[in-house]
Amino acid sequence: MWTALLDWLDARTGYRTLRSHALDEPLPPGTGWAFTTGSVVALLIGCQVLTGIGLAMYYVPSPSLAYDSLRYLMSEVPLGALMRGLHFWGASFVVVAAVIHLLRVFLSGAYKAPRELTWITGLVLLLVILGFSLSGYLLPWDQKAYWATTVTISVAESTPVVGGLLANVLRGGSELGSLTLGRWFAAHVFLLPLALLVFVVAHVALMRKHGISGPIAPVSGAPIPFYPFHVIKDTLMMAAVFAALFTAALMFPAHLDEIANPADANYVPRPEWYFLSLFQLLKYFPGPLEVVATQVVPGLVVGGLFALPFLDRGHSRHPWAPSRRVFTVAMGVLGMSVVLLTTLGLRDAPVRFDPNTWGPQSVAGFLTAEGEGNACVRCHVDGGPASPVRTTRIGRDEGWITFHLSDPTAIAPGARPVDPNLDPMLDGDATRAVLAYLRRMRAGATPPVVAPETAMVVRTIGTRCMACHRLDGDGGDTGPDLSHIGARRDAAAIHRIVNDPNDEYGDSVMPIYGTRLTAAEIAAIADYLAARK
Amino acid sequence: MSSTAGPADQATRRTFLARAVTAIQGLMGAIVAAVVGGATLAPSFAGARRSWQRAAAVSDVDADVPTPITLRLIRQDGYRQVVDRRVVYVQKEGANGVRVLDSTCTHLGCRTRYDEALKRFLCPCHGGVYDLDGSVLDGPPPAPLRRLDARIDGGDVVVRV
Repeated sequence: MWTALLDWLDARTGYRTLRSHALDEPLPPGTGWAFTTGSVVALLIGCQVLTGIGLAMYYVPSPSLAYDSLRYLMSEVPLGALMRGLHFWGASFVVVAAVIHLLRVFLSGAYKAPRELTWITGLVLLLVILGFSLSGYLLPWDQKAYWATTVTISVAESTPVVGGLLANVLRGGSELGSLTLGRWFAAHVFLLPLALLVFVVAHVALMRKHGISGPIAPVSGAPIPFYPFHVIKDTLMMAAVFAALFTAALMFPAHLDEIANPADANYVPRPEWYFLSLFQLLKYFPGPLEVVATQVVPGLVVGGLFALPFLDRGHSRHPWAPSRRVFTVAMGVLGMSVVLLTTLGLRDAPVRFDPNTWGPQSVAGFLTAEGEGNACVRCHVDGGPASPVRTTRIGRDEGWITFHLSDPTAIAPGARPVDPNLDPMLDGDATRAVLAYLRRMRAGATPPVVAPETAMVVRTIGTRCMACHRLDGDGGDTGPDLSHIGARRDAAAIHRIVNDPNDEYGDSVMPIYGTRLTAAEIAAIADYLAARK
Repeated sequence: MSSTAGPADQATRRTFLARAVTAIQGLMGAIVAAVVGGATLAPSFAGARRSWQRAAAVSDVDADVPTPITLRLIRQDGYRQVVDRRVVYVQKEGANGVRVLDSTCTHLGCRTRYDEALKRFLCPCHGGVYDLDGSVLDGPPPAPLRRLDARIDGGDVVVRV
């Protein structure tokens, strides 16, 4: 019955001929493990496609929803974090696997005639893969994504003559925003996959047309049937890489920063590690020389790789053959430079943001929004007109929230004129603190536990001091960072400065708090800050 | 592969390797399918979350006339919160009871309205007619208006939605 059905299917489609054409390729004797690198890349690409489709079921390419849709996927959907982890780690794995494949082809001289076009389509595929990495990096719309993409676009902007136009095309205008996200998303899920498909088909077809290159020195003996004698090696290598990918995704879940905040000029942007060498290179070519790092060096490397089969025309495939030595040395220097620059770049990596680090400003925001006697619970209660603040996961921008906090009944800012005599519910300092609190909550933090005896001092520091000073990553930049002030000043000195900064500094822009806070409050602030060593 | 192996050994080896390839590749495929499929399908099986909501003050509800009340329901819709509005009819029943009917017609989901003169719920779409207790009197509806769990809590009517 089953055989009869398959016979019928074969008679109508000829699938058995196709299958035997695909599987029964004789390989040169001596073809071994080194020739499994391409299959590993294919496996990883397949994995990226499948997990990408899964992510697309949740992801929304809009600045107001992209971040929340991913946060939801990771925290609410079973297996969602693992699926994103596989896609996130898969992106790194595929870059590494493609580079290893390139190095193997280089070392075995497999790009030589008649396989020049196989090499060139492979290089195009590598560029397409890097394009995937670059476009995918923006999509989560968190701080890392936003600022790294700002840098990427600035790099494009440094192109001579057409840079400005290029940057505007990449952004969809003069500012990075919703139009940028839309076009990068479309590139990531429609344009690049199409390019990938076309070039993978071309690459594999060319590989079949010319046969694989086989060992550098021909081995005598009978040809090896591709299936299953080489396929088993491919499969075992794929399984090893897949196990490593799965372990990485399981042990180190993909990270999501705080939501993108274009107003935060303090964020240190950083590209994904495989672009870190280029990023590091930028540091050595400041000002007008920048174009050397952004265009000249990458252009020479990519151009040189494309030209390689036409420059290295000798027949010998051995990497140390006299005709090839110069290319092998050049590739070695390139590889070592990339490793060195990447290592240097990794050394000054910024501290990773953890939403559960609660500084005084976000704690003050928590106390303002949820502490005793707060005004928010008039509406933000279970069964009330608005959800409790803690669960509201507000999807509004900070301008809206700021307006809402000064005039809570206005839920559509701009719908009515601002009353100049309105006494705002929260002042600017308290509003900034609540914003810091809401950012933490939106990033999936657990609300802080505040000891009653420290509540007053934390609230005062979080609202008053941090309007100008930075502490634990939050706060203003008018005054110096207070994160380690205790190492520089003792409690008595801090007390004196808070009481009247003019005593210490002469003419200071810092307000005099001796007349605004009680002596007990100032003493508590001085003790708290002096303990910050 | 070994040149010393006979044709029979070669065939056995070939079969074994082919099965190993199928098994390993099948396992990898199954793992990816389980993760992506699981993450895709999981929300499909999550039940709706219900909670008790205040609908009206008991003093605002009559014994013989159903009072239409618009419930404002804050609901988590995936990654965003939405506010649903749902109209229910609230009516006292007996000494301490309360009857709350969903206003949605059980035929094709149109919103019914209460006709005071006829003392009937009428559906404007296909002419469904329901009695005060929600039972079908005429027209195509296959079932009575859905009755919601409701009770009196202090001075309020609360419903489970």
